[in-house]
Amino acid sequence: MTQIAIPNIGNYTVALATAVESLGIKPWASTATTPEALKLGTEAAPESVCLPLKAHLGHFIAADRAGVEYALMVNSVGTCRLRYYRHMIEQILKDLGLKIRIFGLGFDGFKPPLVRHFDPGPITFLKPLFHAGEQIRAIDEMETLAWKTRPIELAHGETTRVMNKLLLELSRCRTLAESRAVRRTTASRFATIAVDRSKKPLKVGLVGEVSFLRDKCLNKNIEYLLGDQGIEVKNFFSLGEELRNIARIVLLNKNRGRELLDIADRYLQTTVGGHALDSVAHSIRCAELGYDGMVHLAPCGCMPEVGVRPILKRVSQDKDIPILELSFDEHTCDVGITTRLEAFADVLRERRRKRAAVGVS
Amino acid sequence: MFKRLFKNAPAWIGGAETPAPVALRIGIPRMFAYYIYPALWETFFKDLGMVPVVSGRSTMQTVRLGAQISETEHCLPNKLFDAHLAELVGQVDRVFVPRVLSTIKDHLSCPKFGPLPDAARAGIARDAVVLSVDIDETKTPLVETLHRLGRLLHTPRDRAAAAAEHGLSAMRAAHARMAAPLGRKGGPRFLLIGHPYVLHDDFLAGPVVQKLARMEAEVHRISFGDEAPAKSHILWSTSNKIFHKINSLAPGEYAGVIQLTVFNCGCDSMLIDTFRRAMKEKGVPYMHLMVDEHLSQSGMDTRIEAFLDSLAWAR
Repeated sequence: MTQIAIPNIGNYTVALATAVESLGIKPWASTATTPEALKLGTEAAPESVCLPLKAHLGHFIAADRAGVEYALMVNSVGTCRLRYYRHMIEQILKDLGLKIRIFGLGFDGFKPPLVRHFDPGPITFLKPLFHAGEQIRAIDEMETLAWKTRPIELAHGETTRVMNKLLLELSRCRTLAESRAVRRTTASRFATIAVDRSKKPLKVGLVGEVSFLRDKCLNKNIEYLLGDQGIEVKNFFSLGEELRNIARIVLLNKNRGRELLDIADRYLQTTVGGHALDSVAHSIRCAELGYDGMVHLAPCGCMPEVGVRPILKRVSQDKDIPILELSFDEHTCDVGITTRLEAFADVLRERRRKRAAVGVS
Repeated sequence: MFKRLFKNAPAWIGGAETPAPVALRIGIPRMFAYYIYPALWETFFKDLGMVPVVSGRSTMQTVRLGAQISETEHCLPNKLFDAHLAELVGQVDRVFVPRVLSTIKDHLSCPKFGPLPDAARAGIARDAVVLSVDIDETKTPLVETLHRLGRLLHTPRDRAAAAAEHGLSAMRAAHARMAAPLGRKGGPRFLLIGHPYVLHDDFLAGPVVQKLARMEAEVHRISFGDEAPAKSHILWSTSNKIFHKINSLAPGEYAGVIQLTVFNCGCDSMLIDTFRRAMKEKGVPYMHLMVDEHLSQSGMDTRIEAFLDSLAWAR
């Protein structure tokens, strides 16, 4: 059976795999980049490129070694290095003498090259789209619940267990109806977890570069690390939201960027590229919504995200919200990240205590 | 009383003597836009009756200051930019930080240029007035951007138009001047490629150019003044210009090509590989040198000497 490698975008990989599987192709994917793949990518890529490229490249090399013929990659039309990823990865794979063929996804007309190549009928093409959409919705719901439940759970690790079980069930769904059934049980399943409602967990927003927000290997499982310390997180990359935005651009010619620009108003007056505007706008909004802090994740030297860091510093001062800036490269060790997050959590806790003492809400 | 009544009236009907307008001092950091549009800004502001103040040339002190005050993960030119900006803050009435989004039609600039004025306002230049204008040649030609800048500065339309005209011709002359070869005429010809703000900066490119000149080479720096390059998969304007240039090199035109790059440059990290490949196909000797904050001249000298030596053996 034909196999296709799917890039890792966290739990959303499950939905992508489902869509691909409905086309009659076997997906080759995992929800996180493996350390081995990252190592392969680091060895093959030029040293100063950003880490997501190394992760992607490593993933494809590993896929080729496993005998996978095709790979899928998201095309970008942005301003940053992501735009050149596919070209560069194809070149490197060719130099290495690997046969794997890469398809771009998106911004290539309605029928992406992948679909043109395998050419399924219109129904076989549209059905998996709706199915994947349903799964993305389900995953978004699960994640939102997990972020809220993890910091207040009584039995350690219970939320992660429920979450993993649900994801597994979701990945086994073959029809839209099955996926919908799983989605509908999500809330009740999370409700079975014993929690301490009296706890008022700290609230932290995660902003930054997409692969770091979503790939659990790259971000050292930051959602879990924070949740484990009794911090409720909100991750500001949601694929559902992203797809809705694309639909809005295509159908209504309306971009979410405009809203974000209004929020970022005084601080940032351009979209920059990547998710840099999102990082600034969400930080401002979170400060107004009373979040206790923000964590900004980016690969070392990320062009858009590093460019807005001086602005984030100012936002942090003006709006009185602590922002922890984390940069990752291939040498980043999870213990280092854990230590920094623990220190950050301590700062936030102390800050909340002091504010409560002087009566600031 | 009479005088007070006509305070704002001209002197000939008995108003108070209006003080001669003090010329606005506009600070131009010697980085990025200063080199991308050479001589344009000084000429333009001077013609509008303002005083352009360009920050000093980059030195070791500039680098040190940049390393202290700038964002740690910025590329080296961006750190230098922050240092140049800091030098101007407090000395001038406005600091000029344009938002360079695109310098060639249908191309893009480095994504770091987008948030530059906002970052200046947020950090280094928070106590100064930042004068900014969006330069996006995909949407608006440069002339119109200059007219808009004139309106922002409340100058009469025709005066701004004349200043823009003069500024652009000064820029063309400067481009021609900057493309002039250095070193010994008739020596082995070398082409230096890289971003304009790297190739013409005293700290970043100075030592390399001097070393090549000392070794009696004829150094040509790539010119960014000529026509728009052919479209390719590269959308960053400077990178595509370099790509276009090295693709159209005549065989034997240069003894070697030296790519000058800076630490943490995102564009170069992606494209050096492409350039190297293109040069290899053409059979032109190619070397890339990376400059960082810790410049010890000897390391750079050794590599240049070795490169030139190996070329001499090959001949």
